[in-house]
Amino acid sequence: MHHVLLDRWSQGASPLHRRDARAKILALLVFLVVLATTPPNAVAVLATYAALLAAAILIAQLPLGLLMTRAMVVLPFSLTFALISWLAGEPLRALALVEKSYLSTVAVLLLAGVTPLPLLLGGLERLGSPQLLVLVAQFLYRYLFVLSEQAQHMRLAAACRNGGAGHRRASRFRSATGALAVLFARSYERAEGIHRAMLARGFSGRFSLLHAQRFRAGDGAFLLLVSAFLILVRLG
Amino acid sequence: MTPVSEVRPPLIEVRDLHFQYEDGTQALDGVNFTLYPGETVALLGANGSGKTTFVLQLNGVLRGQGSITVCGLPLNKETLPRIRSKIGMVFQDSDEQLFMPSVLDDVAFGPLNQGVPEEEAIAKAKLALRQAGLADVWNKAPYHLSAGEKRRVALAGVLAMEPEILILDEPTTFLDPPAERNLLQLLADLPQAKLIVTHNVRLAASLASRAVFFEKGKLVATGSVDEIARRFEWTYADLPPADLRYSAHRRF
Repeated sequence: MHHVLLDRWSQGASPLHRRDARAKILALLVFLVVLATTPPNAVAVLATYAALLAAAILIAQLPLGLLMTRAMVVLPFSLTFALISWLAGEPLRALALVEKSYLSTVAVLLLAGVTPLPLLLGGLERLGSPQLLVLVAQFLYRYLFVLSEQAQHMRLAAACRNGGAGHRRASRFRSATGALAVLFARSYERAEGIHRAMLARGFSGRFSLLHAQRFRAGDGAFLLLVSAFLILVRLG
Repeated sequence: MTPVSEVRPPLIEVRDLHFQYEDGTQALDGVNFTLYPGETVALLGANGSGKTTFVLQLNGVLRGQGSITVCGLPLNKETLPRIRSKIGMVFQDSDEQLFMPSVLDDVAFGPLNQGVPEEEAIAKAKLALRQAGLADVWNKAPYHLSAGEKRRVALAGVLAMEPEILILDEPTTFLDPPAERNLLQLLADLPQAKLIVTHNVRLAASLASRAVFFEKGKLVATGSVDEIARRFEWTYADLPPADLRYSAHRRF
């Protein structure tokens, strides 16, 4: 999933975009818990969850088809485990595994698509997530783009010197591992540079993110409504 | 007549500074340096001559032997937070300096570390962005910015801390001529004393009142930019195109 696309989606102005990040994170948490505890044979309940997610995507004015397609990124992993369950003689469990992992991914993408990352991180921090975890997520998001650009430059430089073309697989593998090592070393160097830049601006180990949003009554009502609906569907 | 700046106490005073990297490279070897209020000093010298290592000592990012005094404060563990508030450093690679998820978060990073309340930090960040001519990018992600914009945001990040001294490491690297021109204009308008690490003599001449020259970790000369550039042949201007072609052939 290219994070620039998520970034663009998250800049929308739908009712879901306007909700406080904490309300959306907690709603996602409730969704994941009810989804995980839904019995594998409750097909109608799983279909209701899917319909709820589709409705939320449409309310958020996000491209339904594209988001559903992007969520398929999880399928290679879940299908592997589903195959094991299938071979173990549990086809219903296998099907539920695929359905649940797919719906979870759609829900997570929906959250990321309606919440700009700084607000999402701020929300996680305010909800008491370990700061180290929040920091790692933030740096990963920020430097994924820079590192992938660096990797592309290296690939281009190799291609300009005929790297890879017409070589045997073993040779290509050797070049790729070498490039990976260089990329790692450069990332390490960059990390040192970032740390220096942080120190130069007074960083002393405590990170502060700005929190532009406030938890309002509407956010509380949204959280209650979504949670109540999900629990009713699950118990009903 | 004594220059006005020299009757005031110096902003930075460095005495007999030595620094060796872990691999044994002697990066600084007995450097003495003084920066007075209102001055802009260009640090010239070849790659690896110790310029960047030197400026990283001034706010304690690297620590060598010798004495450093900034705004009357001797550099040590206790004074480090105050000294880092007084010195704003703009790094050569803006991507290393812009590590927060949004421009506003990044520019407010310094003030928040200074203990400024959130509302005030936001106000300072927005003011610094306006000063840098980028009032409308505050909610953008850093990777959406051009090289010139990134450099200005990096500068806004240090201006928001209201430093008394600005240190700029190769400020015009990767910038196209219009972006370079805009940045030069912006820097010229800033009242802070400045230290500029650069290879760009044109930049040094247009901003700096004085230049110092580094060679193998030593500060070997000080004078006007023009004097230093001539003395160390730190310019391409004297070399006719034919000579440039000749040197290129000879080199390869």
